[in-house]
Amino acid sequence: MTLVQQSSTTGGGSGSGNLYDVLELILDRGLVIDAFVRVSLVGIEILKIDVRVVVASVDTYLRFAEACNRLDLESGRKAPAQLTDIVGEVTESGAKGKSKGALTGAVEAFTDSLQSKREESEEEPRKRPARKSASGRTSATRREE
Amino acid sequence: MPTYVYAIVSADHPAPLEGLQGVGEPPAALRTVSAGDLVAVVSDAEEGLRAKRRDVLAHEAVVEALMAHGATLPMRFGLLGPDDGKVAEVLEHDGDTYRSRLTELDGHLEFHLKASRDEEDLLREIVADSVEIRELNERTRSGDTPQEDRVALGELVAREIAVRNAGQAEETLRRLEPVAARVARSEPGAGHFLNVSFLVPAGSSKEFVHAVREEADRGGDACAFTLTGPLPPYSFV
Repeated sequence: MTLVQQSSTTGGGSGSGNLYDVLELILDRGLVIDAFVRVSLVGIEILKIDVRVVVASVDTYLRFAEACNRLDLESGRKAPAQLTDIVGEVTESGAKGKSKGALTGAVEAFTDSLQSKREESEEEPRKRPARKSASGRTSATRREE
Repeated sequence: MPTYVYAIVSADHPAPLEGLQGVGEPPAALRTVSAGDLVAVVSDAEEGLRAKRRDVLAHEAVVEALMAHGATLPMRFGLLGPDDGKVAEVLEHDGDTYRSRLTELDGHLEFHLKASRDEEDLLREIVADSVEIRELNERTRSGDTPQEDRVALGELVAREIAVRNAGQAEETLRRLEPVAARVARSEPGAGHFLNVSFLVPAGSSKEFVHAVREEADRGGDACAFTLTGPLPPYSFV
């Protein structure tokens, strides 16, 4: 369940955003047992490393320089955009009542959304470039570049 | 066949497994391995299992379902033991650690927050605030400027971005931390200033979500906050 989500319905908002947003937790956090092995995550971990390498490189500097050069400094600040209003009702109903009930309700909502995606692509879940926002610009999550 | 481990719960957890499916194709059947007052939820793991969407979702669905019925220690995706006997041995050997973590995490949820600020908005502010950057920017706008000037501009800008992102992250965290029991930060990806998980008492979920919402409002249109949860406490086991 995504409580606050940029562009929840545009840009193909397939809901797999849910998986994307928690992927690093499922793959990188969680309890491990030292003596046990893990299935191969080749490809996924490499993407993470790339982020750090790229941050301080001449290519990055040139990209920022170009982005600055492109700025139209005459125009004002950005027009109001996105921040889709929360899935308000889920939040409200999910959090009311005693903690145990609230927890259960919210978890069910989340699990449903995950399960409904089962029928879709069986591709390995890649860290993909971010979704398009309501205003059409891309928020940068450049893990894959 | 190796044993895939999803989660560890205590023996008094109902661990309802009906309707849930394990990893693999066809999906493996779930079962439990018990040792004393601890239970591991496990399944067989097919040869060549990988982190496919289907399998990650299956893992997550099992852990979520368990979490709804009591304290659950979620395993990292893809953990394989040699067999059920070895899983039982581990439960016995490290039982004290698992029991104390289950006690700590009982009644708590994880929320994960990513926050970003529109790059153009940030660059605009940086250019407006620095004479040096503004001058370099003007100079490099014509096509025939030396590469080193553009690199210098980019480097100055990159440094400013890092400083401002860090500042915004600290400020946001300072206001959210009091509502959470614990906080686990990780490196934000490019374009984000915050990538953090919060452990929140279930009774405070509403208050926490409200606090995040206030932060999102404070950030204005140029900021995008994505809050995901409640989740199993992946970041706090």
